[in-house]
Amino acid sequence: MTSQEYRPLLLKNIHRPDSTSLSAYRESGGYKALERAVKEMTPEQVLEEVKASGLRGRGGAGFPTGMKWGFLPKGPGEKYLVLNADESEPGTFKDRLLMERDPHLVLEGFLISCYAVGCTHGYIYIRGEFVDPWRILLKAVEEARAANLAGKSILGSGFDCEITIYRGAGAYICGEETALLESLEGKRGMPRLKPPFPAQVGLYGKPTSVNNVETIANVPLIVEMGSSWYAGIGRPKNTGPKLYCLSGHVRKPGVYEFPLGIPLKELIFEHAGGLLRETRPLKAVIPGGSSVPILPADKCDVLMDFDSLAAAGTMLGSAGVIVLDDSVCIVDALLNLARFYAHESCGQCTPCREGCGWYVQILERLEKGEGRSSDLDLLLDLSDRIQGNTICPLGDAVAMPVRSYVTVFRNEFQYHVDHKKCLAEPAPAPV
Amino acid sequence: MADSTPEQVTLTIDSQSVTVPAGTNLIEAARTLGIEIPHFCYHPRLSIAGNCRMCLVDIEKMPKNQIACSTKAAPGMIVRTRSDKAVKARQGVMEFLLINHPLDCPICDQAGECVLQDFSYHYGTGGSRFEGQKVHHDKNVDLGPHIVFDGERCIKCTRCIRFCDEVTHTHELGLFSRGDHTIIGTFPGKELDNAYSGCTADICPVGALTVKEFRFKQRVWFLRNTASICAGCARGCNVNLGINEERIWRITPRDNDAVNQSWICDEGRLSFQIYQQAERLGRALTSSAGGATKEMLVASGYEQAAATLGEIARKHGGATVAGITSGHATVEEQAGLKELIERAGGSRIALPVHERGDDDALLIRRDKTANTVGARLAGGANCTMEDLLTAIKIGKVRALVVLREDFLGEFGAEAMTARGALDFLMTLDWRVTATVKASDVALPLSAYGEMDGSFINFQGRIQLLRPGLTPYEESDPAWKPLLEIASRLGGAAVPKNFREAFRWAASRVPELSHLDTPALGKFGVSLESPASGQG
Repeated sequence: MTSQEYRPLLLKNIHRPDSTSLSAYRESGGYKALERAVKEMTPEQVLEEVKASGLRGRGGAGFPTGMKWGFLPKGPGEKYLVLNADESEPGTFKDRLLMERDPHLVLEGFLISCYAVGCTHGYIYIRGEFVDPWRILLKAVEEARAANLAGKSILGSGFDCEITIYRGAGAYICGEETALLESLEGKRGMPRLKPPFPAQVGLYGKPTSVNNVETIANVPLIVEMGSSWYAGIGRPKNTGPKLYCLSGHVRKPGVYEFPLGIPLKELIFEHAGGLLRETRPLKAVIPGGSSVPILPADKCDVLMDFDSLAAAGTMLGSAGVIVLDDSVCIVDALLNLARFYAHESCGQCTPCREGCGWYVQILERLEKGEGRSSDLDLLLDLSDRIQGNTICPLGDAVAMPVRSYVTVFRNEFQYHVDHKKCLAEPAPAPV
Repeated sequence: MADSTPEQVTLTIDSQSVTVPAGTNLIEAARTLGIEIPHFCYHPRLSIAGNCRMCLVDIEKMPKNQIACSTKAAPGMIVRTRSDKAVKARQGVMEFLLINHPLDCPICDQAGECVLQDFSYHYGTGGSRFEGQKVHHDKNVDLGPHIVFDGERCIKCTRCIRFCDEVTHTHELGLFSRGDHTIIGTFPGKELDNAYSGCTADICPVGALTVKEFRFKQRVWFLRNTASICAGCARGCNVNLGINEERIWRITPRDNDAVNQSWICDEGRLSFQIYQQAERLGRALTSSAGGATKEMLVASGYEQAAATLGEIARKHGGATVAGITSGHATVEEQAGLKELIERAGGSRIALPVHERGDDDALLIRRDKTANTVGARLAGGANCTMEDLLTAIKIGKVRALVVLREDFLGEFGAEAMTARGALDFLMTLDWRVTATVKASDVALPLSAYGEMDGSFINFQGRIQLLRPGLTPYEESDPAWKPLLEIASRLGGAAVPKNFREAFRWAASRVPELSHLDTPALGKFGVSLESPASGQG
């Protein structure tokens, strides 16, 4: 199957009229997987199917979902599944599309997942700025409850599952699972020390698994079609459909669904309509959201999956593909990113709290032409001092791009020092 | 604890092998080897926050540095605190902490006992590569009655927050804002006004939290610490008296697991102010025109008191000589008063009660005297003040010796009537009170901080009070004048020093007879049959 022939699996409903309604979702075959799971399968069988499918978490880390669920204690006892709908990685807008256009797919996946791990009260933690998706999900949960798809004895199976939706207040850090749990408990959103991991001590002190929206949206597919069919999509160890968020200098920015492992260039040049301006060649691509190392144009012949991008020295992350043409000043781009992280650092631990602001000050003076050569090595050294030494991955998420941008585009940073201006020539304002 | 011996684990830290109980964190494990793992946010009596990252260490087989505070010792673990990886991380943390720190050590109260300053010398690089603008915060924030906050010096270790959450359970403090604008403050409508608020300044590793009553008063390196105990209530918290130029400038808690852990209440912390505000009695006084106003030699006081007490005993019977002892007095002083009353032929000794408020769940006791247990055990207290006043009024008591109590000031008209019925009133006190003024003989006593002594707290723990100040003018601890007078009434020789006085007093009380001062050390000893509680 070529990607031209690929028919969307996760996004198949989004263009249907009234796609958020329960009736439309059921017409397209929705909730059959939930029925099958709770009536014909044991929770263990569902868990085994998900393990066998090879599904890896779509939130950024790519950890095998079945294995993550397997860390929860078996048998009775309170435990929680939490849906991480706090999508906030710059360049990423896939979960939002799913929630806005196909909330019942997300809900069905979540209910099946709760069944698989033995959770009878699932929490959806949704980003505060997502007002529409929040309203749509609320309505979907009400509809599902009225139709006995959620709540007591779902579809007469004896499986109870309540769903609570909680709105965050709009902090990037609350996408980090332990900060999310703190916020969900009503506290200041700051990551917890690990160990203990959420699978042992999570929400309200109980074993908890936190999963990304897109990950969970894959689960009905696995239950309905079977794990071996699912594992046939994509590449070995990188299985299943994937949502790619294309933004930046492309003609048709948006969310695209293809199997894991599609070539990056195909994504940009065939599906996203190519670069925005014919006169402006590709400079670089950030392949997985703002936290990942950058790929210069000559390193863009890569496949978009977890292992291929890791081999290329970067990460699939959230698959937020940010395309930069040569009008971009890389110093300015990094300054923009650094400002974001300085603003979003929770302030709890020293290297991230203090380091992010320092990055911004160095990059500001470089951008203004007031920097000096030693600033380049200082940026790299600060990354060494931050990365791996913080409570949570936010420190890494800023240290990695800084190290990568300065290393890959060192000449541009040096140019700012030597010539007190950008090497890049800005594009003329659009007419 | 039900388990007798916890499981032990053996690990290696900086090439030295060490065996510690399972569950010990790496900071404590290293401490047993004399290896310091620097830290700011970790405090042994608070939960683990892990936010300062100063205690990062390099552990074999772990790709990343780990924080020693939250890492438990494990069998076979190989920890390096001085590897390049650990040193680089630590230097990074030091540099990060200092970029937004004001470096105003010359005007900072914490200088000299600042962990940030110390670790900067020990573990920093000596310089900074930061050349930008520091983040500015409010510098003089009034958090409550005793605490001022400097937002720029704060390193956000959250010890103060955890103290108010976990020790006092009063929850006044929180973190506000994010990133390098993060700041500590009180929640809306709240003040940092719990009874232990001063402890937040003690545990603050930097000069961000300071005690109003101490700030800007003294450079700490001029202070000499005297390890003593607080005399503010029956707890007897272990404290250090910070002394310079014959003055106590502050009282800070001294760790004692059995008594006060690492804390003291604000009232105890500020109790030294009483001694600085009161009018001191420095000379022996004798009555002149209806009050003790005429100075005399202390020795003349002994003679006058012995002669008068002897005469009253002969005339009216020894039983008419009585005493008022005090929970404010030391064991030796209480025993001295008992000896004098008994030498004169009397036995009646009253003990005034000084109670206020309630016992709390942490340290504070409603009994505001430090040595009530001693007054009963060694001081022979055997009647109430009401009983004593009645006995005076009906003529059963004609001579009264008062030790460190102001019964005329406290019992009002009733006591003044009783005073009129007395043939002789002698008072021993450190300050000029209404009772001193109405006495026939008044003798000056040393005050808190000027003398040795022992107190027995409500738990039945006997602890030492230590001097750091020179006794005021002609003052002495009360055992000296009391036993001087007793010896003139046929008593034994007067002890030459505190240790002898203690041994003398202890020998007369079965519960204390095995003790000597060196055995009490800095932390005291629990008596075998304590009055109450644990030891």
